[in-house]
Amino acid sequence: MTVRRDDRLADGPGMRPVRCDRCGAGVEARKASWQQTSVQWTAAAAAACAERRAAPGGQDGGLFLGCEALRASITRAALDGALVVPDP
Amino acid sequence: MTAVDAERGGVRAIGAEAAPTRFARGWHCLGLSERFRDGRPHAVDAFGQRLVVFESGDGRLNVLDAYCRHMGGNLAEGTVKGDEIACPFHDWRWGGDGRCKRIPYARRVPLRARTASWTTLDQDGLLLVWNDPEGNPPPPEVAIPRIEGATRDDWTDWVWGETVVHANCREVIDNVVDMAHFFYVHYSFPTYFKNIFEGHVATQVMKGVRRPDVRPPKAGEGGRVMTGNSSVASYHGPSFMIDDLTYHYDTMDVECVLINCHYPIDANSFVLQSGIIVRRGEGMEGTAADETATKLAAFIAMGFEQDVRIWKSKTRIDNPLLCEEDGPVYQLRRWYEQFYVDVADVRPEMVERFEFELDTSRTTEAWQAEVEANIARRAAAGRPA
Ligand code: FES
Ligand SMILES: [Fe+2]
Repeated sequence: MTVRRDDRLADGPGMRPVRCDRCGAGVEARKASWQQTSVQWTAAAAAACAERRAAPGGQDGGLFLGCEALRASITRAALDGALVVPDP
Repeated sequence: MTAVDAERGGVRAIGAEAAPTRFARGWHCLGLSERFRDGRPHAVDAFGQRLVVFESGDGRLNVLDAYCRHMGGNLAEGTVKGDEIACPFHDWRWGGDGRCKRIPYARRVPLRARTASWTTLDQDGLLLVWNDPEGNPPPPEVAIPRIEGATRDDWTDWVWGETVVHANCREVIDNVVDMAHFFYVHYSFPTYFKNIFEGHVATQVMKGVRRPDVRPPKAGEGGRVMTGNSSVASYHGPSFMIDDLTYHYDTMDVECVLINCHYPIDANSFVLQSGIIVRRGEGMEGTAADETATKLAAFIAMGFEQDVRIWKSKTRIDNPLLCEEDGPVYQLRRWYEQFYVDVADVRPEMVERFEFELDTSRTTEAWQAEVEANIARRAAAGRPA
């Protein structure tokens, strides 16, 4: 069961590095539009995330919906042009 | 097919390898445990084999390969005798640990008298079995979480249902990320959709509104009008999903826990199961919660039929062609693959956290227009919306 590649990553914008302004965690992010967001974490980024640590169950594998600080950092990267958001 | 299936002369080709013949490592639910507690052995076809499930005298639920290692008798046709299952052919006695404990007509049990057994867990009224092609015991970190309401008086009992589906079970997993099918196949209207994959857990967060073209705002349910629903659904491993589901009404919320789980029969069929419990409380007094649970169970069964109709006629596809309003199918399958390789071969990208939030602005606009067109068409035909 080899998993193939998502053509969207080649045809649209790719995943780009973004750093969280709060904790410095480095992730890869992509925005196919202003409302869409993909975030690829690494184990190191997950360990560094301050909000994740503080969230109930954040460390023992309980459900952590997402980091607000990282979300804001990704939005900032998109506004700065570091993340290219395709025109609608 | 090989990697060279993508395109020929600009035509997109569908690529599909055969479904894996290996079965996923993980906890699988075989159904309500009480079903197996009638003192009789039960045959269950799962993981490409025939299994026997029986309750031993000590109250434990045991799962063994059904075929007796002596001369191949079917233990599911045998009898429970004390803590063992007795084969109908020559009365060899097999324990829940897979060992032959006794042969009543023999002085001693031969060497190698051991058959395949599965680790079981009876939790929250459900019988779970641990499947691992490598034969390791279940690690504690992949334990199925407790479902609090399942054992509490202020929640209903399980309303359980199951159906056999003739397709590979990857089809049901794909639903985790497939937002658009909820509109077209299940007649619901998602307005928010996010996926999170991390470790052995894959989550779908979804909010939706009622579709007035499908469910007119009649005040049927005790004067309440349904407005929408919120759902946080997580697969804990390859086959067991717990969905914290709330139906919103104009005057109240109805809280449910929905289980959506399956076990493979073989590479091309699986048993799909659902269970639901509903919280009792204000607006859900007396038997109201039980009636709601029964109604919702029927609704879920209908949803399964809607999926099955698609799965029956569709083809397996390893290279789905996606638009930006589709969910992360590839990343979901990358997550799912961890259960089909040896533990030593689980790669970081299969388990590292991945988030995908879908842009629902375009979908909402398109679906709103479609809903309005449906209502207008019906009004023109002289039928009530
Ligand atoms: S085949 Fe089972 S006891 Fe002989
Ligand atoms: Fe579905």
